[in-house]
Amino acid sequence: MSESLQDSIKPWLRASKSLRPMILLVSIIPLPAVMISAYLLKIDPTMSFLTIFFPIQALGAAIIGYRAYGKRGIGDALLVVIVTFLSIFVMVMLLSVLWSVIFQGFQAMSFTFLSQNNVYVSTTTSLEYGGVGHAILGTLLVVAITTLLALPLGIAIAIYLTQSQSKVRGLVRTLTQAISGLPSVVAGLFILSVIAIDPLFQRSGLAGSLALFPLMLPTIARVAEEALKLVPVDLRYAALALGAPNYRVFFQVILPAAKSGLITALLLGLARVVGETAPLILTLNANNGTNWNPFEGGLATLPTYIYGYLGSNYTNSQSRAWGAALILLILVGILFGLARILSRSKSLKSKAKK
Amino acid sequence: MNMSTANSALRAEGVSVWFGERKVLEDVNLLFPNNKVTALIGPSGCGKSTFIRTLNRMHELIPGAGLAGSIYLDGEDIYGESVDAVNVRIKVGMVFQKPNPFPTMSIKDNILSGLRLSGRKIQNAEELVETSLRRASIWNEVKDRLNDQALSLSGGQQQRLCIARSLAMNPEVLLMDEPCSALDPGSTRRIEETIIELSQSMTIVIVTHNMQQAQRVSTQTAFFLAEDNTPGGVVEFGLTEQIFNGPVDQRTNDYVNGHFG
Repeated sequence: MSESLQDSIKPWLRASKSLRPMILLVSIIPLPAVMISAYLLKIDPTMSFLTIFFPIQALGAAIIGYRAYGKRGIGDALLVVIVTFLSIFVMVMLLSVLWSVIFQGFQAMSFTFLSQNNVYVSTTTSLEYGGVGHAILGTLLVVAITTLLALPLGIAIAIYLTQSQSKVRGLVRTLTQAISGLPSVVAGLFILSVIAIDPLFQRSGLAGSLALFPLMLPTIARVAEEALKLVPVDLRYAALALGAPNYRVFFQVILPAAKSGLITALLLGLARVVGETAPLILTLNANNGTNWNPFEGGLATLPTYIYGYLGSNYTNSQSRAWGAALILLILVGILFGLARILSRSKSLKSKAKK
Repeated sequence: MNMSTANSALRAEGVSVWFGERKVLEDVNLLFPNNKVTALIGPSGCGKSTFIRTLNRMHELIPGAGLAGSIYLDGEDIYGESVDAVNVRIKVGMVFQKPNPFPTMSIKDNILSGLRLSGRKIQNAEELVETSLRRASIWNEVKDRLNDQALSLSGGQQQRLCIARSLAMNPEVLLMDEPCSALDPGSTRRIEETIIELSQSMTIVIVTHNMQQAQRVSTQTAFFLAEDNTPGGVVEFGLTEQIFNGPVDQRTNDYVNGHFG
């Protein structure tokens, strides 16, 4: 009842309502065509969606569009079909990646897998023994050090680019962007060469963090710059007109106003480095045991753990790799969730007060 | 005009302004007597908003800005070598055309923001908040929700909050750049009442496009004009009554009677 009322007070939907049966028809007709072609011509079903389903549907939509709205209807209808098709395509890809990680990783999942390390584990050891606790710790240590280095500097670059009127800004911006084009393996090689030259500098968690640093920095700087740019210049003027020195304007007015954008910058920076494998393989010794010291000794991380086990021929080892991949996904999810809660908490509180 | 320099809080002498290569104001000489309201009128683009921003050194924040001449506050040139722009802005408050309360702060924190931002200690915060809001005649509307976000107020209330925020700094001079142009008639009337009340204790300079407003609130008026491709300047400056009822210059007469601009 309420739905029909909702429809009746939306007169602009009437025209499209009369088209619904035809749209349904066009959506269904290509399906048997795909099945027949897959059966008779032995075309791969996935391919046939692209080569048969999609063109038939586009053609059908164009005809309906033309009948309903004339020439302009063709363009509108084709746009709808293309956009819908592509978004479903991306969605299916994303979900299938997620699904395979969850499905295959789930077998390895257990409390021991989360908490134990990899000591005394061979390629054939049962999944009941051993786990990735040491690698979770390693990833957290390495990423935390990288963040400690890259976040202040990245935000500082963003501040410089948005708040100063210096002529060097263009150069700084270009160089920062240039770093973001740096292949991660090159960043790793650079640190590796430093290790080779300097006898005091060893392969360690710190070396790994330094290799990840140039990957995280430009992401944070870039996104933080956009976030700071979005703060209206009115606010800056308002604060300056009250007799505030520049640094107070920045810390008390601009930074709070850009807070959620800056947290997004941090998130994207984290997402950029948390799964990086190549720089860590080059700069970090693998370790099966738990190591709390990021400045000395080998350190296992989730990406290098996955890399180590995925190539194995043994089912149990592959399961371990998938399990670690699932945990990496969950870890990223938790980080994202936390940051979202942090950036939102204040506005929620003020709403609750009302 | 028979106003001596002695009782003028603020005085502009030979002020010319550039943006990059372009000269936008030429040789402005104005006196702003203590505890009086001065209205700056003129068509859009004549440089009056630019001029008002030179009075508290907000002008220099715009890239490419340039300035010649002097502006004296209490006998001291605010563009003097040893003068800190920050101190000038503490003494000369400003209200902008668009209400710009700090969105991340509550109403109360907005009032106290000036003191916090200029690094001064806050004594009797409650009292200061109340007197500032009362002087901007918005206290009765917000007294029960001082901890609400400033953006929850209406446009007119936000503008009066911005006035209160400036007043909390207890400035000697208050600059207002078209403070009512984005507001409804009711809010405009309340702000005008506030201006008249404030003028008993401080010098006020107001830019306005509203002729009636200039007549209602100001005691003296300066008419700015920029003729084709020339820098703007003051065409006529005098008591408001004289500018509106018996202007000397024909162009002033045309403008105040709505013949152009």
